[in-house]
Amino acid sequence: MRVLVVFGLCLALVFVWERVDIVRLGYHIERLKTEKARLERDRDHLRMQVSALTAPDRIAKVATEQLGMVVPRAGQVVMVEVRPASAPAHRTLPGEIRIARHDVNDAEGKHE
Amino acid sequence: MTTLRSHRRRYFTILLLLSGFGVVLSRLVMLQVLQAAELTVKADRQHQRIVSLEGMRGAILDRHGTMLAMNVEVPSVYGVPTALDSPARVARALAPILHVRSEELERKLSQPRAFVWLARKLDPETGRQVERLASMEGIGIKMEGRRFYPKGPLLSHVLGFAGLDGEGLEGIERRYDEELRGEKRTIVLQQDAKGRTVFPKGLWEETVAAPGHQLVLTVDEVIQYIVEKELDEAVMRTRAKSGTAIMLDPSTGAVLALAVSPRFNPNSRAGFKPEQWRNRAVTDAYEPGSTMKAIIAAAAIEEGVMTPQTLIYGEQGRMTVANTVIHDHERFGWMSFAQVIWKSSNVGAAKVGMALGEERLYRYLRAFGFGERTEIDLPGETAGLFKPPRDWGKRTIASLAMGQEIGVTAIQMVSAVAAIANGGMLMKPYVVSEIRDGQGRILKRMLPTAKRRVIAPETARTVTAILEGVVTDGTGSKAAINGFRVAGKTGTAQKIDPRTRTYSTSKFVSSFVGYVPAEDPKLAMIVVIDEPTGETWGGVVAAPVFRRVGEQVLKYWGVPSHEPVQMAMAIRE
Repeated sequence: MRVLVVFGLCLALVFVWERVDIVRLGYHIERLKTEKARLERDRDHLRMQVSALTAPDRIAKVATEQLGMVVPRAGQVVMVEVRPASAPAHRTLPGEIRIARHDVNDAEGKHE
Repeated sequence: MTTLRSHRRRYFTILLLLSGFGVVLSRLVMLQVLQAAELTVKADRQHQRIVSLEGMRGAILDRHGTMLAMNVEVPSVYGVPTALDSPARVARALAPILHVRSEELERKLSQPRAFVWLARKLDPETGRQVERLASMEGIGIKMEGRRFYPKGPLLSHVLGFAGLDGEGLEGIERRYDEELRGEKRTIVLQQDAKGRTVFPKGLWEETVAAPGHQLVLTVDEVIQYIVEKELDEAVMRTRAKSGTAIMLDPSTGAVLALAVSPRFNPNSRAGFKPEQWRNRAVTDAYEPGSTMKAIIAAAAIEEGVMTPQTLIYGEQGRMTVANTVIHDHERFGWMSFAQVIWKSSNVGAAKVGMALGEERLYRYLRAFGFGERTEIDLPGETAGLFKPPRDWGKRTIASLAMGQEIGVTAIQMVSAVAAIANGGMLMKPYVVSEIRDGQGRILKRMLPTAKRRVIAPETARTVTAILEGVVTDGTGSKAAINGFRVAGKTGTAQKIDPRTRTYSTSKFVSSFVGYVPAEDPKLAMIVVIDEPTGETWGGVVAAPVFRRVGEQVLKYWGVPSHEPVQMAMAIRE
């Protein structure tokens, strides 16, 4: 009889412990969810910033106004169709673009 | 005696206990049975919180996955006026952060209401400052999704915009609103005395609403930038009213770029009028003028009415049709049919139209898609204006042959010319190439749709050769790109003066439509400049835009030119 009572008490304790632990875990998961939402929000803000910073008009502005780059003139970029069998290694491949840099010391504004 | 007293005490105790139990029992019956329903509702109201969930609106990406439109969670600030002791003090503290007048905030916070919005969907920078207010009594913050267009005005007329409540109002946002919208649902959360959420019915209840689908466009961000830059420059240089440019992949109908100038910034629409965000490329019809001669040429060659060598007399630049005089810009004599197109002779084109006749002319113009919507997946498309032959006047055939008495949209014209470029197949233009779910899995892929064959491949090759002549020997010389074969046609159409209902002598629509490389077209493009000032010829105003865009895009794609050796030698020298 005494054993049964002790067993019953133990069962009741396990049950109560389980319920308490579920609630405790629930709070923990809620905290993690809030944290996840905050991190996702930060990620989205960063994605948006990356997208805004890589906008072509911004890149063009930085390239021309801050880095002194110029749009290559006719003849400064040559696309050569390379046939795989006879292609010398040093040739420019289609898709490769050489960027001409503005010479800031050139008083005439001529570009090389 | 003692026994009797003892019995009485026992009975009294039992009675007392029974009465006590009776009271408790009756109270229990009252609470658990009689008032059960009412009390359950009260308890639920204290323990449960109903939350409306709305999934994030889906993003819009370019063909390489670059973000063009996206939702970001930003704070909205609300007040609980009934919980405030001093609305004036709170209003003074909030005003500089929210950039709202403190009198206005005070008025809102003094209303006898339990909830009032103070500022909605703040920008991220203000949002960070506002988060400090979360602890302020009577002030709360709710995170809401706000639409951002990180590239600013880029592609604004195609993307359109979404409203404050996340509904698509213009452009792709409107056309694909159903796909972009996130899931909306309501859930019940259980909360404790401190308002913290405890798990509701089981651990696995989903407390996040599914986001909307993502759209992947056919547009290339870099090409779009090039087109917008060159178009804006042309519109500014010519002080034109507006400009439109569309670039298609002629083999599929995929839109690579679509620009309308002036542009608007969908992030801050205040100050822009609705007419500024109208996508003129699909909503506005114009008389195309001589660009229509490219289509007339295709019809005449397909029908065997003309060959490039057929001789046509130019009537010295004047011809009377139905008591009206058709003029040319030069006094042409005998010309080959190819020269009629190169020199854009109205008299010659009118004669070609007459040789085709009413039925064939109408049939071919319809086949090329005029008078019907292209069915591009953008809202507000017009079918243009193209009367059936029963409504034609005596001059209509001649007028149609030189692009008058017909209203076309830029998208119709570039689709028709793209059909010549690709060997004779009219393709349906489209802007969205894929619909993906929130995790990026492809749900639907839009495939190129051929509407119909309009001319034979052999005819297309012949017309291409004629249109190449327009650029090498004709009015479109400013569209020529070094090292590439360009085919195209210029157009300079007089606008109708709404006052006099006659053709204006000062207002024109100047255009150029063409494709490159002519032998294997990678792009077809139309440039339309509305009401340029100064030089108004399409060959002078619009053709250079085609050349500049073409040069940059072919370089961007790495398409090799025909003159690599000479160019390389030029560099060495």
